[in-house]
Amino acid sequence: MSSVGTVTPDVHHTSHEEDTGLWSWITTVDHKRIAIMYFVTATVFFFVGGFEALLIRIQLMNPEQNLISPELYNQLFTMHGTTMIFLVAMPMAVAFFNYVVPLQIGARDVAFPRLNALSYWIFLFGGIYLNASFFVGAAPNASWVGYATLTLPEFSPGRNVDFWFIGLSILGVASIVGGVNFITTIINMRAPGMKMMRMPLFTWMTLVTSFLLITAIPVIGVALVFLGFDRLFGTVFFNPAGGGDPVLWQHLFWIFGHPEVYILILPAFGVISDVIPAFSKKPLFGYPIVVYAGILIGFIGWGVWSHHMFTVGLGPIADSFFVAATMIIAIPTGVKIFNWIATMWGGSLQFTTAMLFCVGLVAVFTVGGLSGIMHASAPVNLQQHDSYFVVAHFHYVIVGGAMMGLWAGLYYWFPKVCGRYLDETLGKWHFWTTMIGFNLTFFPMHFSGLFGMPRRIFTYSADLNVDIYNQLSTVGAFIFGLSAIIMTWNLIRSWRSGEPAPANPWGAPHLEWSIPSPPHHYNFPGIPEVRSREPLWDPKERADIEAVTMAEPEREPIMPNPSWVPICLAAAITLAWALVMTGVWWIIILGMLPVLFFTFLWAFEPAFPEGH
Amino acid sequence: MSKEHPLSPEKVEKVFLSLAAAMLLVFLLALFYSAYAMGMHLPGRDGEINPTMVRETPPFDEPGLKQIEPGRYEAVFLGMAWAFQPREIRIPAGAEVTFITTATDVIHGFHIEGTRVNLMMIPGQIGRATYTFTEPGEHLIICHEYCGAGHHLMYATVIVE
Repeated sequence: MSSVGTVTPDVHHTSHEEDTGLWSWITTVDHKRIAIMYFVTATVFFFVGGFEALLIRIQLMNPEQNLISPELYNQLFTMHGTTMIFLVAMPMAVAFFNYVVPLQIGARDVAFPRLNALSYWIFLFGGIYLNASFFVGAAPNASWVGYATLTLPEFSPGRNVDFWFIGLSILGVASIVGGVNFITTIINMRAPGMKMMRMPLFTWMTLVTSFLLITAIPVIGVALVFLGFDRLFGTVFFNPAGGGDPVLWQHLFWIFGHPEVYILILPAFGVISDVIPAFSKKPLFGYPIVVYAGILIGFIGWGVWSHHMFTVGLGPIADSFFVAATMIIAIPTGVKIFNWIATMWGGSLQFTTAMLFCVGLVAVFTVGGLSGIMHASAPVNLQQHDSYFVVAHFHYVIVGGAMMGLWAGLYYWFPKVCGRYLDETLGKWHFWTTMIGFNLTFFPMHFSGLFGMPRRIFTYSADLNVDIYNQLSTVGAFIFGLSAIIMTWNLIRSWRSGEPAPANPWGAPHLEWSIPSPPHHYNFPGIPEVRSREPLWDPKERADIEAVTMAEPEREPIMPNPSWVPICLAAAITLAWALVMTGVWWIIILGMLPVLFFTFLWAFEPAFPEGH
Repeated sequence: MSKEHPLSPEKVEKVFLSLAAAMLLVFLLALFYSAYAMGMHLPGRDGEINPTMVRETPPFDEPGLKQIEPGRYEAVFLGMAWAFQPREIRIPAGAEVTFITTATDVIHGFHIEGTRVNLMMIPGQIGRATYTFTEPGEHLIICHEYCGAGHHLMYATVIVE
């Protein structure tokens, strides 16, 4: 390992020991602990969603199989999609926002530590509520896009869709609260000298993603409220028999849904824009261009939603517009890919596991990006609409893009989190089983799709001649499943007994590497001043910064109080939403009382120890 | 360092950007030319219908194939959970068929395998698409829009004779 900035880790520099009991985790408002809870919870849901995927793959391995019932199959693929997007990819990115962003900008915590805890607990309770539906035999079964009119009570009379729309509403609260928190943190809490154009790319992409969160989630919020009224109170927003319009749902869903794709991918772009320079020992090529490309993706991402709806028949003007916008959005994405490659060009490359995942992302995501450009063309899109080709495409983008980026970040920042390296040998096993398993699962789906296999079908006819592709996919899925087990084993083993890591094990340039690993609970004893984009790569600047960040503070910085109110408020919010299921208006209003109660407690609870 | 390299990343990026922009321009010009000069539109929405009165509203009161003039046909299809009506149509090779579709309950898909006909069957909306079948053979019509427990059972056939 490189030994730039070697400082022996020493956990005992704080003047008071932190509590480690269960209660301290429940009441914590420390962004680092919340990040760890986010990560662990998202990983558990990753196994839930992965298990669902394996059942789907077993059922589809051979044509005309009947291993599971169509009813269960429909619940499995609906919950697989919903889980992987809302309970895995998004919260796992939030885990990284939480841990890394305050450290990268030189802050002691996020702007609203209690709100941060609230986000986590709402996410946890929302996830549990959504999955509890399996235990009453009524898991959501209308697919993750929940197209009206299938979701209306006439056609989905059970509780399944109620669990879905209420579960997503609860999770939406967590996302909006998180978005507000990170925007405020990044705009207001940067260390002196850290101008916007000196921020690390991961912080930049967190900012763009947070703006997308607070603007996109309310759109699906509106759609879900409409749906709730249609289901429980007899309105007809989406019911054509009463003058409503089922296409309205599709518009609202995809106005949320397409920015959502960028909510998933931009954090990963941010991660690898920090990791690639660190392992190429070169500043990011064209920093401002990469930043602007990220912002541009965020903006144009709002103007492409109808490419999901070409088969609806929106008319030539709308169709041309969305074809054009979708093609244009490929440019900033292409620019980013180009700049990562140019960063590696001529650099002294180190192929650690983190770097392997970055290179893997660049390769695999590009495949998904290319099939995405194919979909931009309306006539081609029409051929591939809702076929397995689309399934291949978005798994290449979400797994090959978002998840690979987050795994790169995992290997990169893990030494900061616990002062130990993740095992590199196991890491390489993780990487290669991921690459092989992932590509074996999803590459054949391009073919099964082009040969006519529609998505969301419980089984398929042998006449379709797509058996071999499905068998390959199933084998690949199990290898991919193995990779998740290797990753988890690596995490547990390295957490307990990994090789100890110094403060800056990779010789990376950003502020988070200027403090001990693991960091003190207050992160920075004093706030350093930043003079450049790569502060730790300038020997003089690094010495000045470490004089502040490695110092022993005379008096420990005052940190916010732990609080049990966030978990109670989160439980109250979840309960209030769950009571919506009754469809009785006065029970719903009664259900809001605990929310009010805990909000008042929250407002009058002192955030800091007395006298500060 | 890379700066002295004859192909510096800066230069390559400019070439890359101009190439990408030029390609886009060509794509977009082709798109607008085909859409507005040649009048090639995606098949799609062609009016509205009261979804509770589908079976009383012409032409959906008589689903099936109708000859309009020699070589030209109209095929009226209904989508419902979980079947198409009619289940099968037979047409001579070379016939131009206009498909007129709607759904009676939830959204269904109407995709004729091996052709470019692919519509969403939306309750309350009429869809229309025209296609000429030149080769004899059999085409499967499948529902591509997830419509509930029997989604995988929903198909019909076009037999070109």
